[in-house]
Formats: sequence, C-alpha cells, structure tokens
Amino acid sequence: MNEMREIIKDIKRLEPIPQVANRILSLADDPDCPMSELSELILYDQALTANLLRICNSAHFGLSERIESVHHAVVFLGLSQVIDLVLLAGSAKNLKLEQKGYGLHEGELWRNSVSSALIARELADKKGSKNNHLIFTAALLKDIGKVILSRYVSDSFESIYGLVSTQGLSFREAEKEVLGIDHAEVGAMVGETWKFSSRMVEIIRNHHMSEESKYSDFETSIVHLSDMLCMMMGIGVGSDGLAYRFHRGVVDHLGFTDRDMQGIMSDFADKMHQVEEIMNVS
Amino acid sequence: MNNIVGVSDMKVSNDLESILVTYSLGSCIGVAIYDQVARVGGLLHFMLPESTIDPIKAKEKPYMFADTGIPCLFKATYQLGAKKQRMKVIVVGGAQVLDQRGFFNIGKRNQMAVRKIFWKNKVMIDYEDVGGDVNRTIKMAIRDGKTWLKTSGKQEIEI
Repeated sequence: MNEMREIIKDIKRLEPIPQVANRILSLADDPDCPMSELSELILYDQALTANLLRICNSAHFGLSERIESVHHAVVFLGLSQVIDLVLLAGSAKNLKLEQKGYGLHEGELWRNSVSSALIARELADKKGSKNNHLIFTAALLKDIGKVILSRYVSDSFESIYGLVSTQGLSFREAEKEVLGIDHAEVGAMVGETWKFSSRMVEIIRNHHMSEESKYSDFETSIVHLSDMLCMMMGIGVGSDGLAYRFHRGVVDHLGFTDRDMQGIMSDFADKMHQVEEIMNVS
Repeated sequence: MNNIVGVSDMKVSNDLESILVTYSLGSCIGVAIYDQVARVGGLLHFMLPESTIDPIKAKEKPYMFADTGIPCLFKATYQLGAKKQRMKVIVVGGAQVLDQRGFFNIGKRNQMAVRKIFWKNKVMIDYEDVGGDVNRTIKMAIRDGKTWLKTSGKQEIEI
C-alpha cells in the first residue's frame, strides 16, 4: 500500500526524541540504577538541560531561588520529577505543532499530552505504581501517531467522520476502516523507530484498548483512563471530539470509584494553570 | 474583545464591546444567560454536577460545580441590573465518551444537574444543545446577546 510507505517516510522525517531522553527512560524504571548516572546523562545534552532549567524556573514550581544546574534541580525537585521534566522537554517539538486533520490548533495536542501525562502520573501514584516514568512518558506520547496521520485524516475527514456519526464507530475505528491504520498503531510504529522499549510501544498501541485482553494491564489502563479524563474535561480535544470508547473493565481493574474519578478531575482543574506554565516554557 | 471563560470559571459583563467565550466543553457544561433590556450577560463553564463531593473546594471554586456555579452566575448578572424573568438561557455541552454501559457518565449527570436546578428555580431554557460525543465552543456578544456555537466536525452556527 502506497500510503503505508508514505507513512513510514513521514515517521523518519519526525524530529526524533533526544537520544538522552530515551536512555534515561530505559534506566529510570530500573530500581538498581544509581541516581548519579541519571543526572549525568541529562548534563550531556545542553539543549535539554536548558529546557529543563527553564521549566524548573517557571512559576509552575514557585521556587524561592533560581535553579542554575541539573544537580540543583535534582536537589530541589527530586530526581523523579526531574526525569519527568526531561522527558517532557524532549517531547515538546513534535507535539506542539498544529494538527489540521484533527482540528487541533498549535499547542492543543501539546496541552492534551502534558495534561494526560500529569493525570496518569497522579493515578499511578495513587495506586502505588513503580513504573511511573514509563506511564508518564507513554501518556505524554500516546498520540504521537496523530502528528503523522493528521494529513491523511484531513484528506479523508468526511469519510471518517461519516462513519463515526452514522455507523457508531469510534474515531479510531473509523480511521482504521478508512485509512487501513489508526493513530495508535502509527504511534507504536514511531515508538519502534525511536527504539522505545517494547513495553512502551505496546502501551501506545493499546491506549484506546483496541484489544480487550489489555483491560487488565495496569500501565495501559492508567494511560487509557488519563486520556478519557482529558477528553471529558475538554483538554486538547479536536474535531474527533469525544468519539472514543471508554472501557469500564479498565476502571474495575484499577479499583477507582466514581467519587475517586470526580476527585481527580476537580484536583486537576486546579492545576490547569500549571499546565499552561509548562507549555509556555517548554 | 474576547473575554475567555476557562474551565470552572465564570464571567459576567455589561461592557458592550465584550464577547464572552468558552472553548472546548467536553463533558463540562456552558450556561450562557442574557438580559436584552439591561444588556447584561454571563457565561459559566462548570465541570461537575454536585459540590457535595468536596464542599471545601466548592467554597474556593464555586464555578467548578453546577449547584454552586449556576446561582453565582445569576446573582452576578442581577448585580449588573439583569432580571431573571427577562433572561435568555442557553445550555450547551455535557458530551460523553462512547460508553454503552454508561459508567461515569459525567456529561449526562451535568445535564441532569442543570435541569434540576432550573426546575426548582422555575427557569426556562431557551436553547439547549447537549450530549453526543462532540466538543463545543460557545461565545456571546454582550452588545446584543448574539450567540454562536461551534461543534467539533461542523461549522460555527448562530443560535
């Protein structure tokens, strides 16, 4: 299929996530990895370090003194948060752009990605997860496939939207029906190209729970739920609207109650200005 | 001049140059009200139906919830001279993700909360576009109360 060849070419043209972010990710969830090794890795990438310090010094953190170095950032914010910020700084370029096919103006996909990552992190913390960086990054990059698929969706929007509004398909299912591939699958291809772990690739591929067997997968469920909550709150929602399936099995497995979910939404609404801060400096 | 109403936010105005706008109502609901005589309007963007889930937060952020936000909206317009009986009332939003079993249908519950409050207070809704799986943006001109609705996947319409 010609389009598939084009899609593969487009993936190769994406600005790759900095190598250092990838290495950090592979080390970050290893409990035996020494902290010094991680902070040194960040130091090697000057652009990333600069971005990191800009984020740390934003009003988001409201720190009383200026953060001047990676070491300083780790002392003030803790290594775990610094790793998340490095991953965030490394992902901004591709996700910030306008995605016409999805009706997302410049910055909207980024707003959704940052919000989803922060919510996923919150959900993971509540459940005492140990794979928080994996979850944070997967939630951040889950829609990277939209960056590639946007122009194809734009060309076929009427057909895709038609299936959603008349046949009851989800937007992802309609993408698959019309284009032969959906944004979650393209996202997984991007992850493979960028040499992400197979685990990360699987979470991105299944963040809409296209396979029922993933309902019981903890990390995928958290990313799915954070995405759904963002849609409900209208964060970075485009012309695809809220036309995605929410799988109750996910919430059952995670053990969240209705009250928990409302609590998460209301807590996050308080933090939305922080998302704006992060967006403005990253 | 666009006057943006964020999530869990409310604005009222009698500035004839002002246009109140709230973007991206997913399951949240936008309530827009306008008094043609006083030329006063208001727009609320609430997120959740009932403040009982967090009464402390409801005190700090009354616009987050239907039951605290809607009374605030009306009262704030009264202070600018608006009258309840002259009010044009528009309700949009309350969409939901595709969930056949209806679990955690916050969009629907937001709709029910609005109906309940309006029924109790004898307020008629003049225009309503709620539910579905679409994202909505609403804006209202204070000069004449003209209101526009943009629904995802469709062109903006005047309502």
